[in-house]
Amino acid sequence: MALTGFCGSRQLLDRHMTEDRQVPLRTWANSCVLKERRVFAEGEEVGSGQHYKPAQESRWVQRLPISAEDGIIMDYAPQGEPTSSDVYEEEALLKYLNRLPGPLSFQELMPGLLRREVEVAISKLGLLFDKTYAWDIFSDMMRSQLLCTLPNADLPKPFTDTTRAILVDWLIQVHEVFQFSEETLYLTVHLLNRALRLIKVSISGLQLLGVVCLFLAAKREECLLPEVSELCYLMENAYSKKQLLRMERRVLIGLKFDLYHCPPLHFLLISASIARCSDKVVWMARYLLELSLLEGRCVVYLPAQLAGAALRLARKILQEAAAPEAEMAWCIASSIHIGSEAVLLSIMQIMAIAAARAQTRETRATFIKFSTVQTLHVSMHPALKAAPGLLGLSCPQT
Amino acid sequence: MAQEVGLQYEPVAEIGGGAYGTVYKARDRDSGQFVALKSVRVQTNQDGLPLSTVREVALLKRLEQFDHPNIVRLMDVCATLRTDQETKVTLVFEHVDQDLRTYLEKVPAPGLPVDKIRDLMQQLLCGLAFLHTNRVLHRDLKPENILVTSRGQVKLADFGLARIYSCHMALTPVVVTLWYRSPEVLLQSTYATPVDIWSTGCIFAEMFRRKPLFCGDSEADQLGKIFAVIGLPAEDQWPTDVTLSHHNFSPQSPRPITDCVPDITEKGAELLLKMLTFDPLKRISALNALDHPFFSE
Repeated sequence: MALTGFCGSRQLLDRHMTEDRQVPLRTWANSCVLKERRVFAEGEEVGSGQHYKPAQESRWVQRLPISAEDGIIMDYAPQGEPTSSDVYEEEALLKYLNRLPGPLSFQELMPGLLRREVEVAISKLGLLFDKTYAWDIFSDMMRSQLLCTLPNADLPKPFTDTTRAILVDWLIQVHEVFQFSEETLYLTVHLLNRALRLIKVSISGLQLLGVVCLFLAAKREECLLPEVSELCYLMENAYSKKQLLRMERRVLIGLKFDLYHCPPLHFLLISASIARCSDKVVWMARYLLELSLLEGRCVVYLPAQLAGAALRLARKILQEAAAPEAEMAWCIASSIHIGSEAVLLSIMQIMAIAAARAQTRETRATFIKFSTVQTLHVSMHPALKAAPGLLGLSCPQT
Repeated sequence: MAQEVGLQYEPVAEIGGGAYGTVYKARDRDSGQFVALKSVRVQTNQDGLPLSTVREVALLKRLEQFDHPNIVRLMDVCATLRTDQETKVTLVFEHVDQDLRTYLEKVPAPGLPVDKIRDLMQQLLCGLAFLHTNRVLHRDLKPENILVTSRGQVKLADFGLARIYSCHMALTPVVVTLWYRSPEVLLQSTYATPVDIWSTGCIFAEMFRRKPLFCGDSEADQLGKIFAVIGLPAEDQWPTDVTLSHHNFSPQSPRPITDCVPDITEKGAELLLKMLTFDPLKRISALNALDHPFFSE
């Protein structure tokens, strides 16, 4: 089965994993694959370099040929690592940019420059698609993200932003337990945001709704699904299996099976790659981006805006000194951050306040998640407490 | 929205065209528009709706946002619980009166003019290029899955549904035609977008011949009929780790394609051979096919 665009790609994130993080993840993934689907390991040799998302099916179901069961299209010409000519081209491009005469010429060249940079970035991020499709896919991301926002941040009674934040925080912990991809987390919260407004549930049904959104996101994105009984256990068996499966059907019908999401994380990684940001800046930006999942007000912003704000704020907090080439690259990356400066500033303020409070608030799963060595301890950076001050806000009481 | 399709859609007739389940023509009570209801029963086991169903239907919803002129429109989705173990998923598509099979059967002798074939093929490839650009395989291209409106507009249908229906197929004896399947599928090798190009080539030939090109009744028989036309490929082109060995087939040389498709033009024959290339890596893509001189004659 095909994945739409490349939002389903898992490779996108591996690039930014630190070395010691990658090994355990790979070991875990391999052991699961070998244990659950031994036949799949053989198929893997045929389609070298491909990524498999085997669907779990009942044992009695007649097994289709291996390739037919794959979750993704098998590419006959998989994209290899960027060659040295790509590196040379990249360096030449930046040097050329540095000698541009003036803003007018720069503006005229911008669309072409952005296209080249996007193609290089997508190649470097190791996506499944070859460079031929990169710009089309990116253009589609820019257009389709308009469908991924909500018209306003209002929640139906009796829910409040606090209620929602507690649930999202808990889902982040559950997501961590299952070691799902980051895309699954962003899709989960996206589905939850929509479901809360489309499906009538009571306070007592809120947790069930959240779990079902995670379950559906996993069906959309993951190779291995959690057992329904595991999910019920995590909710301390407050709901039965039957209730969970009934809610699944209600959510799918309410959302009309519309499960597409264009995660802001993808915009962030593309922008960061174009802007040549350091790993530390990228992890800080990812931290700020995940904090925005807890903020109900952020549902009205475009994914590219959220990503742009997170990246800008991360650079501001870490105060990375930039070489002239990097500044030029940042200008190109910034053109992705559509929307006014005022909008980006609003988002940055929300993120800055959230980051300043993250350690002390009740909902701090994200703070803990990003305090590890794998994430370069970004959530513990001392400058975060004073982050609102960088944006002209008074620091909140801690 | 309605939980039951019956509340919103009034059945008009059973069309029955699908190999995998019943298809109804119905009228939308709100708009008065005709729709095609395609229902499939999926096993709702302990994991709820199967992952394949969720992904496939979500994909169809995703493609709907593009509103491509050569893709059949998915207007609604409903899911109802029949028993604890079975859920009925109903996909509501726009209704198109005839498929390409019916269309070709109605064509009087001496067959379709080449200009008409060119137009149909151009639309078919345009829709296919769209699917492939979105990393979607149709996987079951055949005249029955290609709809033609009264104004001659071509719409691809039933793409991606094979996996949703696969659960159902396991329970019923359904014969799925092999005639449009590519060699790599018949050999159970790895496959990708080129499988749809092969099917398109078979359909292209059929537009001229007004009968199918390769009519095998088993995998080996189908392959034998293919090699009788394009010749047995060299052993180094044979995929590894496949079900049938190169030695299972007797050596054969390619025959002129015009022997099988006598009315095709020179440029058309050239394009057809690029579509019916054994090696999927060398087979022409939908996008490149649209640039072929056949379409600018």
